[in-house]
Amino acid sequence: MADDWTARINTGVPNPARIYDYLLGGKDNFPADRDVADQVLDIAPVARDVVEDNRAFLRRVVDHLTREAGVRQFIDLGSGLPTQGNVHEIAQAIAPEARVVYVDNDAMVVTHSRALLAGDNTVAIEADLRKPDSVVGHPEVRELIDFEQPIALLLMAILHFIPDQENPLGIVARFRDCLPAGSYLAMSHGTRDIPARPDMSPEAMTEMGARVEKLYQLTTATLTTRSRAQVERFFDGFELLEPGVVEIQRWRPDDRHPRLPGGFFGGVGRKP
Amino acid sequence: MTEFDWGGPTVRRMLVGAQLRRLRTELGLTRADAAEAIRASEWKIHRLENGQVGFKRRDLVDLLRLYEVTDPDEVEELLAMAAEANSPGWWQRYGDLLPSWFRAYVDLEAAAALIRTYEGQLIPGLLQTDDYMRALVHGAHLDDSGEEVGRRVRLRMARQMLLTREQPPRLWAVVDEAALRRPVGGREVMRGQLERLVEATKLPNVTLQILPFDAGAHPALGSSFSILRFPDQELPDVVYLEHLTNAVYLDKRLEVERYLEVMELLCDESDPPARTEEFINKVLSEL
Repeated sequence: MADDWTARINTGVPNPARIYDYLLGGKDNFPADRDVADQVLDIAPVARDVVEDNRAFLRRVVDHLTREAGVRQFIDLGSGLPTQGNVHEIAQAIAPEARVVYVDNDAMVVTHSRALLAGDNTVAIEADLRKPDSVVGHPEVRELIDFEQPIALLLMAILHFIPDQENPLGIVARFRDCLPAGSYLAMSHGTRDIPARPDMSPEAMTEMGARVEKLYQLTTATLTTRSRAQVERFFDGFELLEPGVVEIQRWRPDDRHPRLPGGFFGGVGRKP
Repeated sequence: MTEFDWGGPTVRRMLVGAQLRRLRTELGLTRADAAEAIRASEWKIHRLENGQVGFKRRDLVDLLRLYEVTDPDEVEELLAMAAEANSPGWWQRYGDLLPSWFRAYVDLEAAAALIRTYEGQLIPGLLQTDDYMRALVHGAHLDDSGEEVGRRVRLRMARQMLLTREQPPRLWAVVDEAALRRPVGGREVMRGQLERLVEATKLPNVTLQILPFDAGAHPALGSSFSILRFPDQELPDVVYLEHLTNAVYLDKRLEVERYLEVMELLCDESDPPARTEEFINKVLSEL
């Protein structure tokens, strides 16, 4: 019996969703997660800023897609533990009829999402984004999402957990082929590449990235940082919105919390 | 500070205390330094920072001076909060009727943003009907007069108003199938209670999951517990365990996390919230 009760949620093994929760100041994490997160912070004190910047990027992207692009359907892949400013809260504040699917393969994330996020126009499903057809064909997705109308596919801080041998380009391409014209792809992705900044040399950032990648080998997922060119390739078949793939801090900043760029690349593309 | 309007004195003190601790440690001062400034013991500072004792205005003024808080607005705000922290909560009217541990709990609960609870035997207090509650209170206090039972029930009902107030907390409850099947107060009372549960699941801030019998043995078998999380990140999660004659509060992170872990396992093993209504309707039809 004991095995059954620990198989799906193991608090003894560091878990990227809970590490991220800790970096954001959340409390749904355990000593093993904090141990890795604290080591990440030792190596890269900016990590805390970067995850906050990523939340801010998500907010600006969803705001833009809902308000300017008129998108009313969102699929958030690798949605993570619920926090402040979840996709449906941002979208439905602008368009109450907006529909959102949260997808994750982590049992604890799905449990929390179902309990805290699900509502009339929002569902949370347990599925693996590495199997696009299991997401797109999921009965709850089919019930909520109209595949004849534009859909925004969100891949926020998640593809860097898919190593090259699992064919992340092929995964994104398969999702793209399932989307109707006028749909959008939005993503952010961890990187070692940064522009020159006063507090850190590019060499130091590369070194830092390598050490953080190594730390994540202790967790349930491996981390693969990618260059701008590599991130741009995920947008094959999409027309990139201005300003293209850039450091997330530079993507249509609202200057609410101006911060030095780095850590993640991000962009939004439209399927013609 | 409006989000704390409903907070009771216990957690308001927790909040003021946590701010004092932060101000002190930011300056690298020890408890002994602070104690000297207000002519008190280190233990007193420890208790103040934990929100375990009330605040004297003079002590606060001296501490804030020591902590280099000089902005008059900031000083006034902290003093006002501390004064509020000392004021009694609504439950004191009922003080003679309640064991003190329940008072403290009601206070904390009112300040929580998220209440997670597991109940193995009973319907969670926040979701009980008047009649169900009455049957429970009767069962526990056979000698009480009808009037006293009525007051106890009114107190517990007043506690429930937090679920429908402005900016209510979220209740995320896991209830064992056993609690649905045990006909507290008889069949009719139980029918009303189960119908109430179905109603409650329609509140946007209530999530109810049922842990079915076929889950078998589980890590919380035999114990019920609640975990409170507060809007202010500086306040620790608090675990509340209610026993027959007393209650236990845990707020040490490692202890709390043992319960958090068990709660995660229970939530994962329980049926998802979307199936709760169907489950209760089935129990109703078999009642």
